[in-house]
Amino acid sequence: MLQLESENLLIQETFSKAFEANYEPTNLDRIITDFDFTTYHISTPELKTKILFSIKIKCFEDLVKYGVFEILKLKYSTPNITILSEPQQGYDFSLYIDIENLKFNNEDEKLELIENLSLLKRNCFSAPFLKAFNRYDELSKLSPPDPNNLYGVDNITSDTNKEEVLTISYRDLESIYIKPSNDRVTVIFSTIFKDETDKVLSKVFLQEFSDARKRSVQKAPQVINSHKEPPLEIRHLIRPTTSEGQTSYITFVLFPRHLTQAARWNTITHIQLFRSYFHYHIKIAKCYLHQRMRYRVSGFMKVLNRAKIDSDEGELAADGSGVKERKTATGRRFEVRI
Amino acid sequence: MTISRNENEQVLIEPSINSVRISIKIKQSDEIENILVDKFTGFLTKRAENFIILRRVPTPGYDISFLLTNYHNEIMLKNKLIDFVIEFMEDVDKEISEMKLFLNARARFIAEAYLTVFD
Repeated sequence: MLQLESENLLIQETFSKAFEANYEPTNLDRIITDFDFTTYHISTPELKTKILFSIKIKCFEDLVKYGVFEILKLKYSTPNITILSEPQQGYDFSLYIDIENLKFNNEDEKLELIENLSLLKRNCFSAPFLKAFNRYDELSKLSPPDPNNLYGVDNITSDTNKEEVLTISYRDLESIYIKPSNDRVTVIFSTIFKDETDKVLSKVFLQEFSDARKRSVQKAPQVINSHKEPPLEIRHLIRPTTSEGQTSYITFVLFPRHLTQAARWNTITHIQLFRSYFHYHIKIAKCYLHQRMRYRVSGFMKVLNRAKIDSDEGELAADGSGVKERKTATGRRFEVRI
Repeated sequence: MTISRNENEQVLIEPSINSVRISIKIKQSDEIENILVDKFTGFLTKRAENFIILRRVPTPGYDISFLLTNYHNEIMLKNKLIDFVIEFMEDVDKEISEMKLFLNARARFIAEAYLTVFD
């Protein structure tokens, strides 16, 4: 599994079972977790045929600021789902689905609904990204990017530098910053490694991320990384914290190619998962190295044991000549006489 | 007696009446090799009781120490022991650099896999 999926498999399964024609209504009470402190709760509080589906996200306040409700309303406004105005207690957003009153015109529609439900987290997180992308649309119309400015050199005096930076504090000390501009959208991740080893490995990985674009994947967003030093765009936003000096910043520069209406959702889906993907692969690499070292160590052990004189077969002859004493099956001894 | 290729790669051999201590300093040219060597010797020393000639704590300044006593010499063949130490030295270097290469290759692969999806 190289790529992480943005759908939640458990949700997908739960609902595809529930939507089947021969589904037997049962009591459901499932708590499902996802990346970045996301918790889902699927339950049937009133009737077995009415499913309540709630989500809790750590940084929901941030998302609300950037219009998450509009996105969710747009995504989930189908006759099959009721959006609760008051979410379930302890959760941020709730959907209510009555299985008995589901109407699908065809099979595809059903699958689409299931997929949509399993992408709830992605849809929530997409709000600030979409906002930034829309802002980019406006800005690029206001002041079209200078075609002569091929290398994207920043024009310091331009107004776009005063553009608001959208912040999502999606984990305790880690955040995503998004800054729209007239010719690009910059997404900056801040991340912390608890382990020293992880930190060093992350440097190797990040280096490759920045180099990959130069080498083979020219169409990809540009990746810039910096350790300790926050990038200029967000320097004024960083609060001095105890974690200072441990944080790595990864900047993604999304070019107009990634911001077209068609590519937009693809970009959002992938960029959200960057942190999880990154950490996940560092862990995998570490795991592999450990396995390999363990194997090597046992290899050395074998070599060393080969040096041991097998005590079962016999001991060195007393005179130390290195000739082994040999015995027959009954225990009689041979003696070599010269 | 010290045998050294350069200041990062050294072997210290200390003979005494009934034992020989061999300490090895493994080549570490950067942070990653440092970590790899550290982990690797960690794995080895954790298994020191099975690895009878290995010392739990290396001599200061070195990465790993072997102590060959006359007892070891009694239960093992001398030339095989020497073979082992030499093979160990050869393999460790090779292993560390292979792991480093693997790590870089893996990182590159991962980065490309992630970025190609954006097309």
